[in-house]
Amino acid sequence: METEREVFGNFKPELIPEECSGDINDYEEALHVLMKFMGSMSSALEQVSGRGANAIVYQAGKRMGHEAGKLVEKTDDLEKAMQELSEILGIEFYFEMWKPSNQAEYTIEKGNETIVKLIFRDCVVRQTLRRTGLRQKGPLCYLLYGYTVGAVEEVMGIKGKLDIDHVGPNACLKTLTIKWGGK
Amino acid sequence: MVKIKIDEEACVGCGSCVDDCPNDVYKLDEKKGKSTVVNEEDCMACLSCHEICPAQAMEHQDIHVAKRLYIDRKVNEVIRKIL
Ligand code: SF4
Ligand code: SF4
Repeated sequence: METEREVFGNFKPELIPEECSGDINDYEEALHVLMKFMGSMSSALEQVSGRGANAIVYQAGKRMGHEAGKLVEKTDDLEKAMQELSEILGIEFYFEMWKPSNQAEYTIEKGNETIVKLIFRDCVVRQTLRRTGLRQKGPLCYLLYGYTVGAVEEVMGIKGKLDIDHVGPNACLKTLTIKWGGK
Repeated sequence: MVKIKIDEEACVGCGSCVDDCPNDVYKLDEKKGKSTVVNEEDCMACLSCHEICPAQAMEHQDIHVAKRLYIDRKVNEVIRKIL
């Protein structure tokens, strides 16, 4: 095993030390540790709380989403809101709008609802689940659903809902329903 | 656009991909006893079919390959050398 690189230096409270980051190996190591921790936390939560785990985690994600949504510009334009959402989620949750070939537009209007399908191509949650051998659609996925819904609700000032259509090893399809005037 | 190729030599005609694909991209050719691609334009590159196919008979071309950061960089380097 390689010897660990120790960092020596001066440290004062409130200051960022000159040398506190690591090299790419450190980041890789940290990512693996976090994935393992998250995976085991999620499966333990499921064992203890059963399906209730999804609801708890969804609420936690939603709260996070609302907080994150406060930092970006408000809009009632769906396309703009999707751009804001992709900024909030970051490149590790790369998604785009999707539609079947026989549907003309990305959005479907139904009464006071707008429905849009989102395909998540890159997803750290999916990677974590695969790293730890856990199935998709469990509590960790609900954390992301909550986060997405919370952020959209905050950005657009609406009530939202996200349903899982399909999960795959390379992409997951979700349906976002926006309820206008329903906050 | 996504292009899908089925290796007919490899396909055992089990129909798992037909049942599993959420977008009805495949159909079983009863005569040949092989899977065929009938609705390529609706493929969203989820690759569930890759996971279920016992013969690893399909190839998707021109798709977004999702990041798999959980695979060690060292492992990736070795794989790249072998391939
Ligand atoms: S990648 Fe997904 S949508 Fe495309 S053919 Fe396979 S299962 Fe169907
Ligand atoms: S799952 Fe694979 S082996 Fe089975 S029918 Fe589809 S392509 Fe052929």
